[in-house]
Amino acid sequence: MQAELISSVLWIGLRSGTPLLLATVGEIYAERSGILNLGIEGMMIIGAFTAFAVGQATSSPWLAMAAAAAAGLAASLIHAFISIHLRGNQVVSGLALTMFGLGLTSVAGGTFVGAALPREARIIPSPLSEELAAIPVIGKALFDQDPFLYLSILISVLLWFVLYKTKLGIVIRSVGENPAAADALGVNVYAVRYACTALGGALAGMAGSYITLSLRPGWVENITAGRGWIAVALTIFALWDPLKAIAGSYLFGIVEAGTYNLQPLGFSQWLLNAIPYVLTVVILVAGATETMRKKMGAPAALGVPYVRGEK
Amino acid sequence: MSSTQWAAIALILFVVGVGIGYMAAPKGAAPAQCPPCECPPCQPQAAPQYKAAFIYIGPIGDYGWTHEHEMARRAVQEMFPWLNTTYIESVPPDQAEGKMEELISEGYNIIFTTSFDYMDPTINEAKKHSDVFFFHCSGYKRWKNSGTYFADFYQLYYLNGLMAGALTRTGKVGYVAAFTIPEVVRHINAFAIGVHEVNPDAVVLVREIGAWYNPDLAADAAESLISEGVDVLAFTEDSPTVLQVAQQHHDRGERVLAFGHYSPMKQYGPDVCVSGQIAHWDRILEDILAKIYSGVYTTQNLENVDYWWKLKEGAVELGCADNEPINPIFIDELRQVHVNETVLLPNGTVLENPDVYKLVMARMIQMGVVWHPDTGTYTFTNDECFDPFTGPLYDNQGHLMAPEGQRLGHDALWTMQWWYQNVQGPPLGGG
Repeated sequence: MQAELISSVLWIGLRSGTPLLLATVGEIYAERSGILNLGIEGMMIIGAFTAFAVGQATSSPWLAMAAAAAAGLAASLIHAFISIHLRGNQVVSGLALTMFGLGLTSVAGGTFVGAALPREARIIPSPLSEELAAIPVIGKALFDQDPFLYLSILISVLLWFVLYKTKLGIVIRSVGENPAAADALGVNVYAVRYACTALGGALAGMAGSYITLSLRPGWVENITAGRGWIAVALTIFALWDPLKAIAGSYLFGIVEAGTYNLQPLGFSQWLLNAIPYVLTVVILVAGATETMRKKMGAPAALGVPYVRGEK
Repeated sequence: MSSTQWAAIALILFVVGVGIGYMAAPKGAAPAQCPPCECPPCQPQAAPQYKAAFIYIGPIGDYGWTHEHEMARRAVQEMFPWLNTTYIESVPPDQAEGKMEELISEGYNIIFTTSFDYMDPTINEAKKHSDVFFFHCSGYKRWKNSGTYFADFYQLYYLNGLMAGALTRTGKVGYVAAFTIPEVVRHINAFAIGVHEVNPDAVVLVREIGAWYNPDLAADAAESLISEGVDVLAFTEDSPTVLQVAQQHHDRGERVLAFGHYSPMKQYGPDVCVSGQIAHWDRILEDILAKIYSGVYTTQNLENVDYWWKLKEGAVELGCADNEPINPIFIDELRQVHVNETVLLPNGTVLENPDVYKLVMARMIQMGVVWHPDTGTYTFTNDECFDPFTGPLYDNQGHLMAPEGQRLGHDALWTMQWWYQNVQGPPLGGG
């Protein structure tokens, strides 16, 4: 019985962690290139909404996911334009994007309230093989998931490889550390930053689509429920490293999934509900001071607009 | 640094544009719009005499509590040509008085506040504005110009409990609760009484999530119950999430059933939604507004106006779809389970050893509603001869809460802070 309980907590934890993972890896890329995007929540909900709308119209989850990625990408370009081209304040622009996404989907989603997603449009977990899924405790969590979840792990590992093991990765990181030097070496700083912000937007859109296509198939307002903010914190928690982001996201997911199993033991729900946010606050505070950030390896030019020829 | 200034201006324009777009967008559907019409009722005859405003705790897009209040608002807006209505959604309780002031200054003279937490703000405003009608939903404080109303679900939860007791195979039934305030405890206990009547060995496990509207927490709580072996779920939370979780398990070939809550939610779980509770706030609003219009209610005589409407008034309906008390795919299974008891119907019919389907219908008749499966309609008898909260009732510590034959009164139900004998829930009473 106890093994079964842990097994389902792990299973749900990995599912809950998947949108966090995609959004976090996307933000890692944006921040590695020097663009702080606090609009994850907004891009995510735009993605979630698009996925629901397309899924309902076409009954194709993969088309819905692609559309969500495109919508997230489009939304991120607003932020990219303001922060890269207009050199606006990235914090304000990102916050505006979040509010924009929440407001837009709330207005546009009015007619979707009460509509359910057709079964064919949903992504449903099913065992890779019955024998593997039957392994006690970890079998269900590792081998009884949906393809989207495996895809998100694959994307994260791939993006880790690109960031640390390829020349492109060096280019991206150098743009985030010292854009002037990168520029002097002939790197197009603006193009790299646009591309990384756009990738972040696409992944945030995909993260949103996982929520409406698999995790909570349906539409209600504010369906992302603050996951974008957790992703912002996880980016720091993961020290801007996609591999650590996998561990961090699943840890958050499992903590979230496990809390209610503690309620019968006498823990109050107020305490339990606070755990993920307490974790978030601790990480954000830890990452807030300049020396800590340096120690943690934050991109040196993070949030600083780059102006060619200016020092 | 003119580029920074340009950026700032662009950003401000962007935010302002978003704001204007949001404000200008039609709020919800547009019942107030006239069709491009020649029809006479659409011509404004005289200036509307009454302007009613609704203050909602959640978003109208929750598809639960606030959504149903909004549906009722639209219904009465359609119904009464002399009425103008508006609403404000997602109002935190501490901002309620300010919003009421705004609305009153705009000329709204009937204010509906639809959350328990608005109780004191409503009374404060009622004392300040003696010429305005106030109606507060789900509270107990009244004033000469402020009445109360509530559509109570406990009879429906009891009926749901009968079905849950018959359908559980693990002997564990789960309940996801928003808060363990008396209203929700009453509903959980009514549900548990129904479960116990059919299946005395089954237990009801309760998880409290601490929010009226939080799909994420509701899903986590539901999954946690399922991981402990629960196979039938009921809930109090303002979204269809728990039902969706059950449907997701069904899609994977696991048997998890659920009951809808507040709205007709069957589309979220067509294979798992057994029944549920649906609110018809429009019945109550219709009555209130008609009586205001006809002068029965004034701003002097609302002190004792308290609507506590249940099945027999038609304010609530059994089922997870309109005019379908039980999902047809479960009727056969319910007919297989018999309960060893005798039920006496108002017309003198005696049911011996009824199956659970018959028992549900019989209990509904005893509470004032007759379902006619052949025509798909209800008739109301206004005759209530049964109440789930009739003794003997024991709490889960073994204390006798109501002796044999005694029926709990209004106050005992509205202050309930004990768990029925088969409930395993979080500690109550602020503990």
